[in-house]
Formats: sequence, C-alpha cells, structure tokens
Amino acid sequence: MNPTVAALAVATLAGGVLAVSSRDVRSVVLGLLIVLAGAPLVADPWPGPLAALVRIAGALLAVRLIVVGVRGLGPTAGSRIGWPAASVLAAAGLVAGVASHGLGATALGPAAAQAAGFGLIVLALAPLVIGRDVLRLGVGAVLLLSGAQLVRVALDPAPTDADQLVAALLAVGLGGAVAVIVAAAGAAGGLDAGGGLAGDRGPRPPDAHRIERPAARRQAADAVVEAPVSPARRRAPKPIEDPGAPPRPPGPPRPRRPRPAPGPRP
Amino acid sequence: MSVVPFLLVAAATGTASLLVRASRSWSTAIALVGLVAMAVLATTIGPTTSVRLGGANLAGSDWLRLFAILGSLVGALLVIVDLATVHEPDVPGVIALGIGAAVLALAIDDPGAAVITATAGGLAGVLVAAPLGAAARAAFVGSRELRALAVAGALAIGATAWIARPLGDLSRVPEVFGLAYLAFAAAVAIRLGAIPFHLWAARVADAAPGIGLPLLMAWGPAAFAAVALVWIDRSVAPLALPIDGERSLVATIGALSVVLGLLAAAIQDDLEHVVGYTIAADAGFVVLALAGFDPAVWAPSRTWLLVFVVARSAFAAWAVAIAGASGTRRIPELDGWARRTPVLAVALVAIAAVSIGWPGLAAWDARAAIAAVALPDPIAGLVAAAPVAAIVIYGRLIRTGLRRAGAAVRAGRSDAPAWPSPLPRRPIVGRGTFERTIERISHALAGTLDVLWTVPAGIRLNRTLLGSVAVLVLAGLGGAVAAGGLGVPEAARAVPVLGEPGPGPEASGPPSATIEPGATPGFSFSPVGPGQGPSQDAGGSGEPEGSGGTGD
Repeated sequence: MNPTVAALAVATLAGGVLAVSSRDVRSVVLGLLIVLAGAPLVADPWPGPLAALVRIAGALLAVRLIVVGVRGLGPTAGSRIGWPAASVLAAAGLVAGVASHGLGATALGPAAAQAAGFGLIVLALAPLVIGRDVLRLGVGAVLLLSGAQLVRVALDPAPTDADQLVAALLAVGLGGAVAVIVAAAGAAGGLDAGGGLAGDRGPRPPDAHRIERPAARRQAADAVVEAPVSPARRRAPKPIEDPGAPPRPPGPPRPRRPRPAPGPRP
Repeated sequence: MSVVPFLLVAAATGTASLLVRASRSWSTAIALVGLVAMAVLATTIGPTTSVRLGGANLAGSDWLRLFAILGSLVGALLVIVDLATVHEPDVPGVIALGIGAAVLALAIDDPGAAVITATAGGLAGVLVAAPLGAAARAAFVGSRELRALAVAGALAIGATAWIARPLGDLSRVPEVFGLAYLAFAAAVAIRLGAIPFHLWAARVADAAPGIGLPLLMAWGPAAFAAVALVWIDRSVAPLALPIDGERSLVATIGALSVVLGLLAAAIQDDLEHVVGYTIAADAGFVVLALAGFDPAVWAPSRTWLLVFVVARSAFAAWAVAIAGASGTRRIPELDGWARRTPVLAVALVAIAAVSIGWPGLAAWDARAAIAAVALPDPIAGLVAAAPVAAIVIYGRLIRTGLRRAGAAVRAGRSDAPAWPSPLPRRPIVGRGTFERTIERISHALAGTLDVLWTVPAGIRLNRTLLGSVAVLVLAGLGGAVAAGGLGVPEAARAVPVLGEPGPGPEASGPPSATIEPGATPGFSFSPVGPGQGPSQDAGGSGEPEGSGGTGD
C-alpha cells in the first residue's frame, strides 16, 4: 500500500471525524474542507495537475458557500458521543474497507480509498439517520457521497479528467445545497430541525404553502438576507420627504470637473 | 453539432441568472433567453455525433435531442407561466441548470459519471425547495430532499462501481448483480418519489414552489431513470441471471406506486399535493420499466419518460396558473374557476385526455407494454388500465370549476382579454395647411409610438391570459408527445452512440449468459424466466433457474 495515499486516507477520515463530532461551526467547516480536498488525492495514480486543481477549486468553492450559509450562526448540536467514539467508528469502517478491498473481485484502485470510503460512509450514517440539525444532515450528505465516490475509486479504473470535473461539480452543488438549507434554517431561528420533524409526524397543513404577493415576498426575502451590520458601519436611514413640505431651496452649484487639456496623452 | 454548445449555454445562463437573483426581472430574463437559446441549440444535436472530453464520451442520440428540445421548451413555458402568476425567485435559473445537468447526464456514456452528474443536477433543486426567507419548514424539507438525493446518489454510485470491472469468479454469483440492480432501482424509486419512498417528495410538494415541481420531481429524476435503464441494459439484463426475486420487488414497488399514487391524489384537497401524487403515480411506470429485462421495454420506457415529463409539467403549470388567478390552491375554494378562466379549463381537459389516454395512443400503448413486460398477465392489465381512474381526479376539478363562482374565484383574475385605456388625442393647433399636415404626420408617428408603449401595459393587464395560453401550449405539447408526434417513436427506438468498451461485466460474463441480438445494437438480452429464454444449463453454470419471475 502506498504510504502517502494511506496517510491521506487517514487525514480524510480525520476530517470526517472533525466534521461530524465538533460543535463549533468553524471546525465543522474545516473538517468538510479536509474531506473534500483530501478525497481526490486518495487515489493511485494521483489525478493530473489540472484535475487535482479542479477538485481542490471545487472543494474550496463548496466550503466557501457553506461558510456564507453558516455565518452568524451558533454552535451545532454536534455528536453526543464525542469525537473518540466517532474516531472508533471511522476506524472500524477503515478496517472493514481494507479487509473487503475489491468486494469479492480484483480491485483496480487502492485499498486506502475503499478504507476511507467505508469510514466516511459509517460516519455519515448517524447524522443522516437521526440528525435533527440541518447542518449535521448536510455534513452527513457530503460525507456519504464523498465516501461512495471513494469506493468507486477503489474498485474501478482511475477516474478520468471528466470524472474529476463531474465530481467537482457535485462538490460545489453539495456546498451550495448545504449553504441554502442552513441559511434558510438560520433565518427561521436556528439550525435545529426539530419543528420540522415534529411537523413531519403530525398532520400536514392543508395548503402546500401560502401564496404571497411577489412584492411582499421580495420584501420579506430582502429583510432576511440583509446581512447584520455593526452599529459603527450602519448608515443612517435616508429621511423620508414629506410630500406636502415646501421644496428645498436650491443649493450652490456643483463644481464642474475640470476637463483635461486637449493634446497627446503622456 | 455536439451537445457541448447546449451545455455551455445552460451552464452560463443558469449560473448568471442565479448570480443576479437580487434583480428578479434580470434573473428571469437571462434564464428565459437561455432556455430559448438552448431549445435552438438542441435542434442541432446530431444523433450520431460524439465528442470525447477529458476521457469521457459525450454522445448524442435522437432521444437525447428530443429530451433536450422538450426540456428547454417546457422550461421556457414554465418560466412564462411563473412570470404571469407569482414570479417565484430563483426558479428560472434552476430550471436552466437542471435541464442542462439532465442532458449532460444522458450524454455521458459512463453510467458512473452519469449518476454523479444526475445527482449534482438534482442538488440545484434544493435552492428552490428551501429558498431564503422561507419558513423553518422549508429548511427542513430542503434537508429531507438533500438526504434523499445523497442516499439515492450513493446507492447508484455504489451499484455502478461494483460491477463495472472484470469480476472473475464473482460474476458467477447472481446475488451480486441482484444486489447492485436492487440498489440502483431503489435509488431511482427514491429520486422519483415512488411509493413507499414518497415521504420526502410529498414534503417537497409542501414547500417548493409549484412551478419548480416538474424539475424536482420529473425532469431530473427522469434523467436519472434513463441512466438506470441504459445501465441495466448494458450491465445486468444481458447476463440472464436468475434475479427474479429482485425484479418482482421492483415491479411491486412500481405497481403500488401507480395505484396508491392515484388513490392519494384523488383524496387531496390541495392542488400541489394532487400534482405531486399524480407524478408519483406516473413514476410508477418508470419503476416498472426497470423490472422489464427485455428488449421490448426499451422503446416504450423511453416513450413513457417523455410523456411523463411533459404531461406532468403541463399539469403543474395548470395548478400554478389557477393558484395565481384565484389566490388559493384549495380545491373546495375553487368553485367556478372554469367560468372565470375558460382557457385553463380547455387546457385541463387536454391534460386529462393526455394523462389518461386511450388504446391506440402512443402513451397508452407504452404503459401497456411496460406493464406487460414487468408484471404477470392479469395484474399487468389492471395496472395498465389504472390511470383511467384519474378521471375521478380531473372530473372533480372540472366539476368544481363548473359550479357558481366562489368568493376566492370572484376576487381573483379572469383570463378574459383586456385592453389598456387609449391615450387622449392630441389637438391640432397648426395655423396653416402646411403646419397642420406636418402636425398630422408627427401625430401619426407619435400615435404609433403610443401604441408600442401600451404593449407592456397590455401584457400586464393580460398576464393571466398569457399564462393560460402558455399552459394550453404545454398541454398541446403533451398531447403531441403522447400521440407519438414530434418523432417520439423513432427517437425512443434510437440507440446512443457508445464509446470504446471499457472493462465491465461483459468482459467476465458468466457461462450461463446466452447472448441473443436485442433491440439495442451493441447490447444483448436474454429473457429471464423458465420457458422463455435459454436454459441455465446452456452454459453449464449449474445455478438454479429462477421461478415466479415478474416477466413470466
């Protein structure tokens, strides 16, 4: 087994453990960055420079989108069993991946990729199945799809450049989806999806969703997307002019900008 | 021409539309122009054109071209209906991106990469399912959708990866192929929202804008299902393995989805719920097609996929137009809608006719053929005829519309044409003949400009009518596809250009696999089940014969 690839597989799994178990949003995002940027390199042979660049750019863009979504939010629910238990789960997945390399037939990729893939899939199960926090659900989705792609790398021939491009698009799509969901949940009060889960078990509301006038809806959306501004940077609101008030007296004429003298430019 | 220009325009206009989302009019205009350009470019996709990019083969086919043309046209019409009614944010850009991703998934000849692309395209739908400023429930629904997409994508990636290489002795184990087949079929059922995997889809119908439902629940999943059908034809069906148990399970899910979806749609009071469950019902035939390991299912399944996406898009657009005109989606509050919006009433009748069909119609024949291949005889007939029960659903809507107008409908908008008030005539003040002549000429020119300036006002006044006409055009498009027009039968029989054969199960085919020429050149089939195909002893594998298969 290539030791560099094995080390990268372990680092990718460590990123997964960090993303799953941490309560600090920044640590979760860092863990996702490690997973998304490290997973493409758990391959033998490594992707070409352009393909690696595309994958890393996709990972950075995905994480950037998630950062935009989680900005200003509090801690996540995190893992109740803590990072040691998550690490043990990941290690179990890793061992299972190495032991079952090829899944019954000759594998065309490295065992480290299957180990990391199984580890990520194991880590993704708890957030996906019992997660009540929308960010954790998103983390679970990212880990599950990253793990499945790693298993594909382990079993099949090395991914082509087109495969890498498609995988980068998937990473960006995942980042955008997680960001949108987290931002919507944050705007509605928090990351906890408990209300939704409770509503899921109860009767559904009669109307699918309330029809809103476009203008009112746009105002509501604008009110939500308005980023929090510190008091020091907040601009004073523009005074509303009274239609009945007399017109303002004309001010002094605006100074005209001097025109440059005609001639050849220096 | 290859599919690349189409994909570039879809990516560019979809992304640009979402980037300028703060200005809703610009966002919509960019997406609309992009969709029209995509429709034009789709007509240039060559059926035998293949281009190799980065190691992947992007192949065109008649069916892909028709899918791209219909997707772009239907997307543009959906945007027009949205523009005329509620004008939801982000939907136009997401439609352009989603159609582009679906076409890319269908063009890639490697099922593994195609599955990843289809999953990535589905993620765009999360943007409309959980928009900014929506309620907490929308965020929850978005996370449910993301979970469904991730699980379906992981299942499909795992299935395609497992058997996409020489398997050696493992190819003698039918359970391997059965498990992979079951995983991919479950992934398709999840993506389509087929019963019993419909919970997430039902919640999406709650939160997502109605105009986004066709993309979320029909176009994207249809591309995913088309990839699955090709994968089954290439990797599983030719091996003639005894996996009848798995096929029966998939066929049962499909049949249940058809029947229970119609039943659920009939008892709903909310229009979007009705749309969602009718989509689940029609998706049942797509799941049934996955259980038909027979060359005879190739053309009907592709015909039905086109009918499914276009007809359901028309119904979703009708529901949005009604809601925009009346201000409510609850059927009990829609009394008299047909009197206020007769164009929409005509459109609903057309949609009902297309959805239900009759023997001899291409859509009906496709459904019957799929059911006949996937199910045993008496059940196949019942399931094929089950969509006739949709008369109850459409009849209820029409009966409600013919009653006296209720309060919501009276307060809503009609689709009767209206004209903007004319501007007052300008007085002639010239003193001499020459002056008055010049004045009249200039007044005529100014009057022409006045007429032009009234066009935006006329559009604004008649937006309900324009939306209704767009729905009617969609219904007509659905009728044309369902009747076998637009070259649907020929396109459905077409075969994509295959790239260079890579390692796959064919390289390690089991001795039991007896190859027979199928409908798809390059593929091979052998009917599964006793009495139909070659016996398992032909290759001397010694494996037990399948019994009780769904195709018997």
